[in-house]
Amino acid sequence: MDFLIDLDRIGRTFGTHVALRDVTLRLRPGRIGLLGPNGAGKSTLLKLLMGLISPTSGSGRVLEHVISPNGAGEGDYELRRLIGFMPEADALVPGLRGVDYVSLAGELYGLPRKQAIRRAHEVLTYLGLEEARYRRLEEYSTGMKQRLKLAQTLVHDPPVLLLDEPTSGLDPASRDAMLRLLLELGRDFGKSLIVSTHLLADVEAVCEQVVILMNGEVRGQGSVDELCKRRHDRFILKIQGEIEAYKLALEAKAVRVLSYNAKGDFRVSVAEGWKISEFFGLAPNTGSVVRAVLPDDETLEEMFLRTANNA
Amino acid sequence: MSRPAPSPHLLRYRTLNTARRGPWFGSVAIARSSLQLLAGRKMFWTLYIFSLLIFLLYFFGQYLQVFLEQRVSESLVRTGGVFGRTIRPDFFVNMLRDTLRMNGTADTYGDFMWTEGYIVMVLLAFAGSAIVGNDFRFNSLPFYLSKPIGRRHYLVGKALAIAVLVNAMTTIPGLCLYVEYGFIDTWEYYKNSTRLLFGILAYGAALTITLTLLLLVTATWLRRTVPLIMVWTAAFVMSRLVQRWLVDGLGLSPRWRLLDIWNDMYLFGQWCFGTNHLLLRPGNQIQPEYREATAVIVVVCLVCVWYLSRRVRAVEVVQ
Repeated sequence: MDFLIDLDRIGRTFGTHVALRDVTLRLRPGRIGLLGPNGAGKSTLLKLLMGLISPTSGSGRVLEHVISPNGAGEGDYELRRLIGFMPEADALVPGLRGVDYVSLAGELYGLPRKQAIRRAHEVLTYLGLEEARYRRLEEYSTGMKQRLKLAQTLVHDPPVLLLDEPTSGLDPASRDAMLRLLLELGRDFGKSLIVSTHLLADVEAVCEQVVILMNGEVRGQGSVDELCKRRHDRFILKIQGEIEAYKLALEAKAVRVLSYNAKGDFRVSVAEGWKISEFFGLAPNTGSVVRAVLPDDETLEEMFLRTANNA
Repeated sequence: MSRPAPSPHLLRYRTLNTARRGPWFGSVAIARSSLQLLAGRKMFWTLYIFSLLIFLLYFFGQYLQVFLEQRVSESLVRTGGVFGRTIRPDFFVNMLRDTLRMNGTADTYGDFMWTEGYIVMVLLAFAGSAIVGNDFRFNSLPFYLSKPIGRRHYLVGKALAIAVLVNAMTTIPGLCLYVEYGFIDTWEYYKNSTRLLFGILAYGAALTITLTLLLLVTATWLRRTVPLIMVWTAAFVMSRLVQRWLVDGLGLSPRWRLLDIWNDMYLFGQWCFGTNHLLLRPGNQIQPEYREATAVIVVVCLVCVWYLSRRVRAVEVVQ
């Protein structure tokens, strides 16, 4: 399998509303982050990837399963069997015990009952819920509920996990633990993860590839490292002496001054190929002294917001 | 001798290679887990015991009727002062056979299933929120629908759980009574009363399908137990009072009795048992035609199916 997801100009409309427009994606198996604000088309894309709906135009393949306007839509059970979905909502069944809930998920994925029960015990143990497995779901804490939801996603050992806001509602410690788990599942056990989130830090922590959706279109796609290269290189400078002259000299060299003050604190954005030594080279001619040069790279979050604003 | 410490790798994630089964097995799993949810409630067992008591009343009532009729030849039996000094077996035979109709006839099974109906109604009102309502109330549906099953598999699973409940309290005990009467009467009974067997199965099927659909609809609509009980009560108790007031009180057409869905199912059952319309009990109540009652049941079921398909289709798996 070369590509996990191979979509060619996929479109999906609901009445007059265009949810996805000419989405072309080619993603290899791995840890993929799906970013986008509300209404960007993430949910529609997830439904398409799970075989819950068919596209209205275009075609593609998900895990070698054909997606086309004439596809099976919700009836593509074979595709869903290969995917474990962790919903954002609680989606628990009150009254059931943890082990019953996970084994029920196993049975729904097609495992025979005995196997589903055995597997439920294994997965709960793996996720550190072995002592809580006989508790009713109402008694679980938020962190435990998230892990339980991950357990029901893993029970049938799918090659792909589709995670909708996996760290939603977690405290920092639980969030770190969840991200570590996800990273381990992807890195050590070869699971492909598709993480739909608006928390960019989660994507940075777990994912290798990222897709940015905006207004139903793909605005950015590539590896996290590649996208990070598109970040604007920024620096914080501390200048002493002729502040205004140094600013003019920077601008003459096509350096964008994002902010500065009378104390000589500059925030600047430089073009590709700029060398740090050039900051020092400008100083003698303007009667200034460079006291400090600190990197201040754009975060993925800032880059995402910049992409959103450009859109 | 101390055992070696287990390797931490034993707790590591293990891959799985197993053949997967079709989505209809998922329906069975849904039904089983729904019944499991219900079995954990004391209310369920309390009501089920009441239902068993009604069954046992009929079971031993039939036995006593046949025993007294066939085995006790004396006209007076001395009881050692328990029921006075003597009892008259023919009094009990008449009561069991003619008044309570515990004599293996259509009336026996019709009355039994009618009586069980009260318990079934109360039980379903409580079960509705646990089996179906909570899935909508606590947003559990994405859990089911994100799996390789369709919406119809989910509905069939839930319906199966309700059907098991209804049948466990009506059709199966009804069949037990039928089998029992054949044993205590003569083998000819089975040969001569195949229509009764058909009637039990058909009446049970009507109860199962109609009550299952009605419960699914009311539970998905109301979700909580108390409103569900109120609407359920209105549907089965108030409608009966209203139809009686309209027909017996105001003298309107007997067709107004069609408002009472439980009565409609009873009429359908009697039709299946082959009971003459003129001999329906109680004799002083004129009932609508069998066909009309059946038509009402069919319409109610179709409306329920239409509502359910719309309601479940509206659920978003990914929100």
